[in-house]
Amino acid sequence: MVFGKRDNQELRSIWDWRITAAAALLLLFIGLLGISFGPLSLRFDQIFRTILGLPNGLTEQERGVLLDLRLPRVLLAALVGGALATSGAVYQAVFRNPLADPYLLGAASGAGLGATIAITNAHGNLYGLLPVFAFCGAILAVLVGFFISGKFFAEPNSLLLSGIAVGSFATAVQTYLQQRHSASLRPVYSWILGQLTAASWQVVAWSSIYILIAISILISISKQLDGLMLTDEEAYSLGINPNRIRIIAVVAATLATATAVAASGLIGFVGIVVPHLVRGISHRVTNRALPTIALVGASFLVLADLGARTLLSPAELPIGVITAFVGAPFFLVVLRRKRLVNQ
Amino acid sequence: MLKKIISAGFALVLVTAAPSYAAQGIPKRIISLSPSATEDLFAIGAGAQVIAVDDYSNFPAEAPMTKLSAFTPNVEAIVAYHPDLVILNADATKAQDIKNALEKLKIIVFVEHAPTALSQAYTEITALGRATGNISGAQTVISNMKSKISQIVSASRRHKPLNVFHELDSTLYSASSTTFIGHVYADFKLTNIADGAAKADDAGYPQLQSEYVIKTNPQVIFLSDAQDGVSAADVAKRPGWAGISAVKNKHIIALPQDIPSRWGPRLVDFYQTISNAIGKIG
Repeated sequence: MVFGKRDNQELRSIWDWRITAAAALLLLFIGLLGISFGPLSLRFDQIFRTILGLPNGLTEQERGVLLDLRLPRVLLAALVGGALATSGAVYQAVFRNPLADPYLLGAASGAGLGATIAITNAHGNLYGLLPVFAFCGAILAVLVGFFISGKFFAEPNSLLLSGIAVGSFATAVQTYLQQRHSASLRPVYSWILGQLTAASWQVVAWSSIYILIAISILISISKQLDGLMLTDEEAYSLGINPNRIRIIAVVAATLATATAVAASGLIGFVGIVVPHLVRGISHRVTNRALPTIALVGASFLVLADLGARTLLSPAELPIGVITAFVGAPFFLVVLRRKRLVNQ
Repeated sequence: MLKKIISAGFALVLVTAAPSYAAQGIPKRIISLSPSATEDLFAIGAGAQVIAVDDYSNFPAEAPMTKLSAFTPNVEAIVAYHPDLVILNADATKAQDIKNALEKLKIIVFVEHAPTALSQAYTEITALGRATGNISGAQTVISNMKSKISQIVSASRRHKPLNVFHELDSTLYSASSTTFIGHVYADFKLTNIADGAAKADDAGYPQLQSEYVIKTNPQVIFLSDAQDGVSAADVAKRPGWAGISAVKNKHIIALPQDIPSRWGPRLVDFYQTISNAIGKIG
């Protein structure tokens, strides 16, 4: 691998951008599927007419459902899926651990604690501030782990361990609060399983800012992230400062994860399945796959949310149930194939 | 019909299962670990026998509220009050173990099951009357409730169908007609939109999709989450909801705190609230 050299031939052997183009097309197709189905049946031709601004489109109420409910929900699913998949891939690179996922450093437990505080607070009505609480909880948990570990610069594993400890602590406090407020069990539980029911343009607007910035940062350092696969000495010799890259990567990935969690609760498995899926299918292990991983993560979650909305329709199913139910067996198939290749 | 037979059978079991007190006499130190049972006890005239109630039993005001938990009962904390009768909800954590432990200490335990129909609520009041020696008080409460409820329901008989949505929380959980709350709406012959999703949850509490609520266009929305701070204005602000009949015509009713989730004498208030709300609609 040669870094800093912009040779087309070389780049193609590292990553084939046709895969990225295919992933973009896939997302477009699944996105269209996503806005086409729901309890209210809308005609395809009328949907297209409405989107393109042609006459004879949907009625005003149908337009409202399409533009104010389904479209923001599909966009939010795409953003969250992209954020979780990209962060997962980056954590895996930073910690050189294939099992790393976006919740590794305690972000999930911290967010869970924040959300539970917002839900169980009986006095002030904090329910509306749930995303803010979840976001701050996630960031705080990672920050605390970061400062406690201290040795992060020398040893990523100590950050990992202190993240796990902080996570367990936050979960303990969260469970205590939940036990003290039994009436909050259902909202807390459904939040933990993850849901996109709260999707609105407002949520899409604020979450897209953080998520797009974070993903752009991660993609822009993807070359240097590849350098983390080498030993630190080798990375230095290529002009990469591994600690700096690790910090930038962890900060950006945490920002993306915290935003995703604040917008949609704890949706599991996307951050592990999607990166490995892309690596397994493309037979390449490089962070140049990040844009593709983001696109496939987005497609995966839009599709999972379509399932969440249609399987029990007109009732809802928590999306986390679907991501794990579909993701886990699929993941096992990819893993098995990979092992056969390696043998 | 089948449902009626089952609930009648259930009622029979509940009444016969209520312990007999001929030997021990009337209980004088009762602990109620159920907000509904607390309301029942005070209504039937057993209030003076009640020495402690759980931390959610906030009605009536004279009920001796303590820190005892109905949700995760603690045997030692209960025993510290030296009760002779404990009312325990069957859904409490490890209810059966708690019951066994208390019975070993010679404390009588009355296990209360959440009713799914009005008849079962009456059965519980009767059983509490027997268990506490207030049989005539219980009978009076029941006959009062019955006559008031039937009056309210018959006074608001409608000819046109009416779609209603009972909102449990802002993530759109609702209660279908198989639930206790749902039966109340069914008594008014209202069309409960949650019934369209009833299959999603065998306990009858499905989480509805926003789009489905818009599609079914409820004419009245009842907010049982008003006590958690959800207001009519919040509901109107939800994307796509402005066109819903209940929102357009301002028929969003904030239900009084706790009333829909208690199966005691204040059920009459729940019926009255619904009656008032649908009375305003032609």
